[in-house]
Amino acid sequence: MKINFNMNGKPVEIDVDPSMRFLDVVRDVLHLNGTKEGCGEGSCGACVVLMDGKSVNSCLLPVANAIGHDFVTIEGLKETKEFDILQQAFAEMGGSQCGFCTPGMIIAAYSLLKHNPYPTEAQVREEMSGNLCRCTGYQAIVEAVLKAAKKGAGLW
Amino acid sequence: MDKFKTSTAKVDFPEKVRGEAKFTDDISFPDMLFAKTVRSTVARGKIKKITLPKMPEGYHWFCADDIKGENVVNIIFSDWPVFAAGRVKFIGESIGIFVGKDKEILDKLASEIKIDYEEETPVYELTESYIHKAFKKGDYEAAKAKAVKVIKHTYETGYQEQAYLENQGIICYFDENDKLTLTGSMQCPFYIKRAVMRSCGLKDDEVRVIQPAVGGAFGGKEHYPSMIGSQVAVAAIALHKPVKMCFERAEDITFTTKRHPSHSEYEALIDQDNNILGLKIRVGLNGGAYKGCSGVVLSRALIASSNAYVFENLDVVGDVYMTNTTPTAAFRGFGSPQTIFAMEMFIHHVAKELGVDPLELRFKYLAKQGDVTANNGHFHDPIVLKELMEKAMKMSDYKRKLKAYSKPGCNKGIGMSIFLHGCGFTGSGESDIIHGKVKLVKDEHDHVYCYAAPVDFGQGNRTTLKKIVSNTLGLPEDQVSFEAPDTDHTPDSGPTAASRTIIIVGFLFEKCAKHLKEIWKSGERQEYVEPYVGPSYIHWDEDTMQGDAYPGYSWGVNIVEVEFNPVTYQVSVLNTWSTYDVGRVVDERIAVGQADGGLLQGLGYGYLEEMKCVDGRMRNRNLSDYIIPTFEDAPHMETAFIDNPFIYGANGAKGMGELTLVGGAPAVALAIENAIGRKISKIPANPEYLMEVMKHEN
Amino acid sequence: MVEKYIPASKKEALEVLSKHDCYIVAGGSDLMVMKKNTAGLAPKFDKDILYTSHIDELKGIYEDEAGVHVKAGTTLDEVLNSKLAPALLKKAVSQVASANIRHFATLVGNLANASPAGDTIVVDFLLDAKVKLESVGGERIVDVENFVLGVRKIDRHPDELITELIFPKLDYSGDMWWKVGSRKADSISKVMVAGYWGIRGKIVEKFALSFGSVSIKAVRSHDIEKEIIGLSVSELKARKNEFIEKYGKIVTPIDDQRSNAEYRHKVAMNIVSEFIDKVVGGK
Repeated sequence: MKINFNMNGKPVEIDVDPSMRFLDVVRDVLHLNGTKEGCGEGSCGACVVLMDGKSVNSCLLPVANAIGHDFVTIEGLKETKEFDILQQAFAEMGGSQCGFCTPGMIIAAYSLLKHNPYPTEAQVREEMSGNLCRCTGYQAIVEAVLKAAKKGAGLW
Repeated sequence: MDKFKTSTAKVDFPEKVRGEAKFTDDISFPDMLFAKTVRSTVARGKIKKITLPKMPEGYHWFCADDIKGENVVNIIFSDWPVFAAGRVKFIGESIGIFVGKDKEILDKLASEIKIDYEEETPVYELTESYIHKAFKKGDYEAAKAKAVKVIKHTYETGYQEQAYLENQGIICYFDENDKLTLTGSMQCPFYIKRAVMRSCGLKDDEVRVIQPAVGGAFGGKEHYPSMIGSQVAVAAIALHKPVKMCFERAEDITFTTKRHPSHSEYEALIDQDNNILGLKIRVGLNGGAYKGCSGVVLSRALIASSNAYVFENLDVVGDVYMTNTTPTAAFRGFGSPQTIFAMEMFIHHVAKELGVDPLELRFKYLAKQGDVTANNGHFHDPIVLKELMEKAMKMSDYKRKLKAYSKPGCNKGIGMSIFLHGCGFTGSGESDIIHGKVKLVKDEHDHVYCYAAPVDFGQGNRTTLKKIVSNTLGLPEDQVSFEAPDTDHTPDSGPTAASRTIIIVGFLFEKCAKHLKEIWKSGERQEYVEPYVGPSYIHWDEDTMQGDAYPGYSWGVNIVEVEFNPVTYQVSVLNTWSTYDVGRVVDERIAVGQADGGLLQGLGYGYLEEMKCVDGRMRNRNLSDYIIPTFEDAPHMETAFIDNPFIYGANGAKGMGELTLVGGAPAVALAIENAIGRKISKIPANPEYLMEVMKHEN
Repeated sequence: MVEKYIPASKKEALEVLSKHDCYIVAGGSDLMVMKKNTAGLAPKFDKDILYTSHIDELKGIYEDEAGVHVKAGTTLDEVLNSKLAPALLKKAVSQVASANIRHFATLVGNLANASPAGDTIVVDFLLDAKVKLESVGGERIVDVENFVLGVRKIDRHPDELITELIFPKLDYSGDMWWKVGSRKADSISKVMVAGYWGIRGKIVEKFALSFGSVSIKAVRSHDIEKEIIGLSVSELKARKNEFIEKYGKIVTPIDDQRSNAEYRHKVAMNIVSEFIDKVVGGK
């Protein structure tokens, strides 16, 4: 079936089974490998992408539901000013170790800040709890998101 | 400001944050085939017959019969076959792999293969010891004469799953020179190389292993990749095509190795002045179906069994038991989290039973420089444990809180663990067995390239090792690069394990850089290889377990504050305060990252993470039912370091990767004890267990 | 061969359902796990699939005399940000899975999948929610307690589409939501309890409790509630243990990889005790 959506600002038309996981389209069809699979069941958040500006688990999203929507993966986000602020804050605070969860973390942090530009620490922890990290103990990521919120004030 | 400690940019950060780093599953080759494992469905038995389905063209089956070399995975004790040979010993054991282009067809073949077993009665209890170790210090039996009291307790710890975010996976292919090459999620490239040489019957120059980006390991990728690597290599050689095998989470959680569950019995001899005359310690580990590295895990568990305390008389015995379950192996801490938990709880329980202050009792037996260790070696280097404790207690307001929280019904608690971790391989293993080497190459533009085997799976060693070199040479950071290990170009500096990367490999790089500096000729290509020479005073006898167990020790203190919910028996970890002596910190941001991450894994081990094995089958199959902490579960963490430079460390640095995990479980368990006023003797101290504990009288 | 339908209107969807027995996929967060296949391969659906996420008529929340209507395509995130949605429902929704999932998973999907551990079902039961089902032949409205039949079993005929979940207006003075998961966030519940109460003078005028993850479906006992309603506060206080015992009989949990029956039962009863204490102002 022909499927249309926007990916990283560009219209995409692909011919795939609409029941497929959006994650497989992102990785195997569009070759956007910054989106990772950690659990395949929506628990870890390594696969989140932005759908109309909000983070969603691409491993649970059927391609059928993607039709007509706007998506951004880390490959698209990295061209933005918001990304620059986030990545700098992650670098400064040590928010990435093995890096496997990092693109998902950045996407989730962006989604959070776009809808809540001045989050408290508790809100960051609550809103990002669908993204697992086994390396950092989370504190550095929380600090990075709070720092990015402050530094990017007005941008979010 | 200490320039050396100042945080520097993490080398691999830009490519990772931008999603550009290539992890195993991001790598593919034209003509690449996939492999799908067929696993045993019975826990113990003989394979009577394998009936293959009709094989479509381009699809292949590989099993024990196809092994050209030895059918074993080259681990410390090589008893685990690459493919089950005639018999199976646990549910999930690899019997063979289907290889081909289309995953759907591979799934179909795997569902159609028929395997007939002659089932045997499996063993799930700790009854069949297959590794036994023991050592003594002083004379425990003689000390009994002076004892007026004997206190005994039993402690249990459960499985722990590494739960790295990236699952295991290996690709075997042929490089531009048609050489057999493996890349994949790994900790130890040379382990894989040697395993493939052995199972495929290849020579040293016939196998190459290259490390890509690795998404966490924590010990879980120390040995298991040698198994997957051997399996895909068998197929790749036969078909002369690239073969990829990447696990999904359920396969990874259920069938790859995890931390050994343990059962420990502690007995203390007490004299009339409430002195501890000696300890008798019995440790049992569940090794699963194959020994693998369990003997070394047991060694570390036993050596650490009296933790950071020194007693005159010790009688220590340990066994690893064979059970027909998924084998257990390396996981950050490597045996010591089990016994350090037991020892920390035990000294506390002894103090309570004697009616003495646990803190005073612990102070009385703290290790000091010059003391004789459990294995009759010596603590050669200065020990700053008391300072670490005092600092952590001050940071946390420990004494006031302990008193306040001891009032019944307040449901808050605070607990402190103190601990040590021996860095590097046991005894003189670094000098005698590992023979680690590193290499520095300087090109005509005076750019320096560092070559060594440690894999950076998040710990930051590409950054820290490079930093040691650039600081020693006095070069700007961008004039030095660290190359990811490639066994064709990298000297074997040993595995990425045992908290040895900084203390051993870092030290080697520092020496190597000093030598390069001495012979430095600007504008010329130069190369220097440095072999490891350890402290000459370290002597160890593995058979008797006597001597200096490790080249050096790192030390730490964790204080944990919790809140207990008496309605649901749930525990919230609120705050932690930690102090560490890791010699000298190489890079503060990376060190704090290790401290935070290690501690959260240790806390998870202590109160949250539970893996159940029922009738040989792991019941947890995903990250939705093997529970690791989320952002909301993680406490606020504060960390401080006390300098205590180590002579045989780069700029004084010792190891810290494992140290940061081992104190988490006892600290959180002691905090829970403080909150509920009852004894904890098992981890994870999860709500179901705490409900049981709450049934007992205070 | 499994057919996939992606209608753009309700009418079109109902026509498909009148001819084909389909899985109905709204957000997909639950079915995509249940039908999971090897990575890279399409999920294993064994009958036709109807995707409803493109039907605009199924989106939104509105209010009329019957109560608050949450249309079937409304995401959990939209419920959370709605001014109309009942406060207790929002409390439960805020703890379902994670923000990432709430951004596309739907409230009605959580009900329709009828998992014994479905968080919002417990609140649906407590708030007397009604399920609106439509087919080409017409529509019917079912009480949610009758709609959920068992583990992943609901009273939906193959030609029907759930179009709304309706929350009638309820007045009460206090409410409570307990989700006991294996960790603080992103977890599947071990025990859930929802309750509300109303006191007039010294008489318990309203009292309701529902439970989740403790039986094959969410449970609520109108019989026990009837016994309690009309009691004086002091009578309820005096008979607390009697009612805990009664609730103890309708709560029948099991052992699984997440917890055990004894824990679930004990915690549920502890919560009932806390709840009654709160109702009678004992704490």
